[in-house]
Amino acid sequence: MNALQANISGIIKSSVIDGPGNRMVIFFQACNLNCMYCHNSHTIGLCNLCGVCVQACPTQSLKIDTANKRIIHDTETCVHCDTCIKVCPENSSPFYKKMSVENLISEILEVKDFISGITVSGGEVMLQADFLVEFFTAIRKYPELKHLSILVDSNGNVGLDKWDKILDLTDGFMIDIKAYSPQIHKQITGFSNEKILDSIQYLDKKGKLDELRLVLVPDYNNGEDEINKISTLINKLSPEVRKVLIKMRKHGIRKKYTSLKEPNPEEIRKVQNRFKEAVISVFTI
Amino acid sequence: MEDIKNRVREVLTDGCLDYKQKKHNLAYIAESTQAYPKVSDEAMEALADKKICDLFEGSAPYRPRYILPDYKLALKKGIKYLELDPPTDFDEAINFLSILYSYVPSITGYSVYLGNIDQLLLPFVADLSEESIYKKLKLFWRYIDRTLPDAFVHINIGPEDNIIARAVLKVEREVKQVVPNLTLKYDTEKTSDALLNDAIKTVFEVAKPHIANHNMITTDFKGEYGVVSCYNSLPEGGGSHTLIRLNLKKITDQHSGNTDAFFAETLPKYCEMTLDIIEARIKYLVETVKYFETDFLAQEGIIKLENFSAMFGFYGLAECVNTLMKNEGHDFTYGHSEEANQLGHRIVEEMKQHVDARPLPYCEANNGRAFIHSQSGIDIDVEETAGARIPIGEEPDIYSHINAVAPHHHLINGGISDIFHFDDTVKRNPQAVLDIIKGAFKKGMRMFTFNIANSEFIRVTGYLVRRSDLKEFREEGSRYGSTSFAANSMDNKNVDKRIAKRVNSNERTASQY
Repeated sequence: MNALQANISGIIKSSVIDGPGNRMVIFFQACNLNCMYCHNSHTIGLCNLCGVCVQACPTQSLKIDTANKRIIHDTETCVHCDTCIKVCPENSSPFYKKMSVENLISEILEVKDFISGITVSGGEVMLQADFLVEFFTAIRKYPELKHLSILVDSNGNVGLDKWDKILDLTDGFMIDIKAYSPQIHKQITGFSNEKILDSIQYLDKKGKLDELRLVLVPDYNNGEDEINKISTLINKLSPEVRKVLIKMRKHGIRKKYTSLKEPNPEEIRKVQNRFKEAVISVFTI
Repeated sequence: MEDIKNRVREVLTDGCLDYKQKKHNLAYIAESTQAYPKVSDEAMEALADKKICDLFEGSAPYRPRYILPDYKLALKKGIKYLELDPPTDFDEAINFLSILYSYVPSITGYSVYLGNIDQLLLPFVADLSEESIYKKLKLFWRYIDRTLPDAFVHINIGPEDNIIARAVLKVEREVKQVVPNLTLKYDTEKTSDALLNDAIKTVFEVAKPHIANHNMITTDFKGEYGVVSCYNSLPEGGGSHTLIRLNLKKITDQHSGNTDAFFAETLPKYCEMTLDIIEARIKYLVETVKYFETDFLAQEGIIKLENFSAMFGFYGLAECVNTLMKNEGHDFTYGHSEEANQLGHRIVEEMKQHVDARPLPYCEANNGRAFIHSQSGIDIDVEETAGARIPIGEEPDIYSHINAVAPHHHLINGGISDIFHFDDTVKRNPQAVLDIIKGAFKKGMRMFTFNIANSEFIRVTGYLVRRSDLKEFREEGSRYGSTSFAANSMDNKNVDKRIAKRVNSNERTASQY
């Protein structure tokens, strides 16, 4: 039995949008950025047992288990209204679970015949890098699983030593560039981006940067200067890195950020054209 | 007589039918003047109230339902009856097949099987360029669609990757026709991922081919097999005299008693009755009509009686299971609960045992027994779900879906189908579908068919219609017979909820007159 456990906010057993092939995606709880457009803001924080959700639950389906420091969730009476998530002051949820490497391995075994690999995502998965080392090592050692590809979907906001820990165990990384200028990055995510820019270049140098994504947020990161800087960065990376332009969508974002604007076709075209001028081929979704 | 006259007049004056469709329907009326092959009064009653359905084969079978000519042999020997010498090049081979296709009988009037076309044409490729093959096949495909306008007309490719199979897929993506229906035989050893990938991308465009588990199906047949009509796997150089299907929903609705009584009395009784009807129809075809003594295909060895058997079909398993569960006071639903799924498997296993226990004449292809077939439904099936499928709209997530239905597949040697649906986003990631197909075959699935939501093509049961053709048909009639069949299906079922005129599927349309 491994001592380490990870906070897992959810598992999707069949995903066609998290890397090549059919993949099982494991979402880790907690993030070190706080993006305005986060669609899963309940995966940002960790539960501190404050009990606000327990009070707010209309069907009394939540209870604090003080001894084990966790929230007990009654699936029989829960009506999935998500009130608990909406009221949580920590951007957390009572639903994430502590899971061991063994737990996760047995989840993969159920679907192993149907998948090309697994993708770990978040939250910010690199915050649990030590767990990933054990988890990925276990996959690589397991005869029926060792052929699976392992992809990491990260915001890149960690020190380089963290990447070194799992570099050899991982097939590739998918990283977001939320903005190039630190000020704009701070506006969008609440944090600066020096580590992220370093990580992007480091992973590329190591031949492990699979995909770089830019989520387009009008009035924030679509200015000419900003896109030009991002283009310059991209042009320094290996041409094999897949570049994806993602239209920011308002679905599921927190109430306080509903004033954000989704990009219109003209705004998208403008950015696409700028990339084209810089001879960068970008896939838009 | 007055009744016949009126039926004939109705056909003659129906503005929605073209000349050929009228002729087909007139023939059906003429056939209906003959007495049904001799079966018990009880069996006739079961046919009348649709507990057993003969799929409008007609009351006097004068041709087998499914014929799979040995086209390879025909190309090698030539055909005396048609004064055709063996072809010597690609053009001659296509011309030879085009002529032969129009002489192959079926219930709809159009051949249900056009051969494993890549294997047939490969010997004639010589030094033809890819471009030239593509052009010739495109014209061939146009010929097939315009002269055999029936969505049950089925062609096969694979399992090996080759220049013809690739060209066929390219033509399919280009011409976007409903006809011919298409199956790729997939073999884990022989089929490349690249070919399967190409096939998957073709499904994104035109909702075909179906992917057949070649490793599995090939063990059920003594020789070569073909996938024909709607997912029917049958021996080449032979076929099936008839397909009679048992309506599991109807026999369960009328069953009084518990589940044990269903297994002890009702199910065996109606299995036997279905097999009685099959036997009577086979004897009529072989002994009264003497089809195999008189047709040139049999006389010249392109088909052989010893390569024929018959098909025992069933449908409405989902409703049968749910009703039996309800009668026992359980709220377990087929496709969603392990108890219900287990009961479903037991029913299929018991049916298979009854079918395997009953010797039938002229069924040498399957050692004197019928092939069992999970019948994929026709337009009149308003309340019954096709074969052993999970009802449309109630399908669980893809893994639960596969795990629920896969255990049936190894039993159903005559063919079985389940349709899976993917969101449009999968188009960017064909590898994902490839992963799932390989996984499904590892779990024992015999056939894998999938659709993309909101595609231009709608898979109705086992065949396709174009969304636009349906719309036009409702307004002005169609060149395809299967469109009217599809229009009825769309009206009767949520087929387009799940799922895509000119094309025919005459098996039922004729019976309307």
